[in-house]
Amino acid sequence: MVGRTRGGRGRTALVYACVAVILVWTLFPIYWLVTASLKTELLLYGTPPAWWFRPVLASYARVLFNIPFPSYFLNSLIVAAFTTVGSVVLGSLAAYGFARFTFRGSRALRFFILLTRMVPRVALVMPYFLMMLALGLLDTHVGLILAYVSFALPFSTWLMIGFFDEVPAELEEAAMVDGCSRLAALARVTLPLAAPGVVVAAIFAFLVSWNEFLFALILSGIRSKTLPVVIAGFNTDIGPLYSDMSAAATLVMIPNIVMTVFLQRHVARGLTFGAVQG
Amino acid sequence: MLAIDLFPLLYSLAVSLYRWWLPRPRDIRFVGVQNYWSLLTDPEVVRGTANSLVFMLGTVPLEFLAGLGMALLFAGRLAGAQALKTVILLPLFITPVVAAMMWRLLLHPDLGVVNYYLARLGLGRPLWLGTPALAMVSVILVDAWRTIPFMFLVIHAGLQALPREPYEAAAVDGATPVQVFWYVTLPLLRYLMLLAVLIRLMDALREFDTIFVLTGGGPGTATETIQLLNYRVFGLGHIGLANALSVLTLVFVALLCWALLRLIARRAW
Repeated sequence: MVGRTRGGRGRTALVYACVAVILVWTLFPIYWLVTASLKTELLLYGTPPAWWFRPVLASYARVLFNIPFPSYFLNSLIVAAFTTVGSVVLGSLAAYGFARFTFRGSRALRFFILLTRMVPRVALVMPYFLMMLALGLLDTHVGLILAYVSFALPFSTWLMIGFFDEVPAELEEAAMVDGCSRLAALARVTLPLAAPGVVVAAIFAFLVSWNEFLFALILSGIRSKTLPVVIAGFNTDIGPLYSDMSAAATLVMIPNIVMTVFLQRHVARGLTFGAVQG
Repeated sequence: MLAIDLFPLLYSLAVSLYRWWLPRPRDIRFVGVQNYWSLLTDPEVVRGTANSLVFMLGTVPLEFLAGLGMALLFAGRLAGAQALKTVILLPLFITPVVAAMMWRLLLHPDLGVVNYYLARLGLGRPLWLGTPALAMVSVILVDAWRTIPFMFLVIHAGLQALPREPYEAAAVDGATPVQVFWYVTLPLLRYLMLLAVLIRLMDALREFDTIFVLTGGGPGTATETIQLLNYRVFGLGHIGLANALSVLTLVFVALLCWALLRLIARRAW
């Protein structure tokens, strides 16, 4: 459209120059972190910056074998997995209720759910800390999972409402006429049709949990520490340990990158539903 | 859901009315709004609020303009647009703590690759995170790195959903691209853009991770926003006071949220 007008060549070149700048701005920090994790300490701390070098895995060996990184990784995985399942199941049920029934105050309740997303986390961390203290759930996976489900739930509910709205109610009714209970109809007919929504909600819930830092910092300890806290912990008194940090950070980043690629197709919808609306 | 979302807030509100300092567990006393009063007259709170506003007003317009520019760039036909979009989205989903550490590596005054080339160009070795004004700039830039994709995505999705007819009419009338953008695209996307900006304003007020890892609020208190101040007050064990500060922040964010809801109400999508 634009390319065919007068001076189209020059304009195309300009567009691609802009794209190149954007790519460098976006990718260079990631590239530098990943390559830093493959450098020897001598290279990492040396000047001039090394662009070509022989990659070594020493940092990874230290991270994997000298500190309990694998067990922190497991903590993060456990918390993220349960958060994902919990918020998708509860979110789907809640969303199903909103999508199929209107009851007194259902609109107001929808807006309340939306409102909870706007609450600053720091404002919530104190009451959560005191609650977990009272329940004896400080430094446990359960404590973190409860907190994260409450973060991810508004989003997954709003997202699933949109997807359920698109599944015609007649299909369920047909299933119920054929002898399914409402829950069975939901599980066998509606959920499979809303599968893309489930996937998006699940990935977002996973990322909420995987990325969360403040609550992990305050609610977790030695036994349940998750990865963002570990990464931030590389800021030591003698200065950041960049070599180990970059290896650990690269490992943390892998699931994020995989999921971004998966999400990419649905993300516009996810964000406009989830972020713009809830 | 009501229980897990509403209860902490009410609890916070209740605690905020007490004098409760962790080192003195026996001396928990109801003091009414005294915590609020001492906060509102506290110069640290005023400075924290100012820092929050500077951060918010620095990062959001930057993100918006960059995101808008990128969305317009992608509105035309681009080779490999789908793959490019995936790459552009990456920062949005990367763990904020990881992103912040990544930038600390780049911006390190002596070892960082940024300063090495600046020095080669004769521009010296600025202490990106160590001088008060520059630290705020750095924090804003890093936050922008992470969130420009959000603006890009929302505006991009909006652009793709626009009706064709007004553009055809504009083309018939011989409008220049600038005129088309100003008189067709902008009015059509006004509400979507406003929404995106409001959401990011609220997120910027709530930002914690990036600033905490990059500067910890420093140097001194140069980048100590309300959120970081709140964390510090909590860390010092002033439970009642910290909760009062939380409630105040919440009111502040709620005002923004109210504006957002009014906007949604006026234009129901």
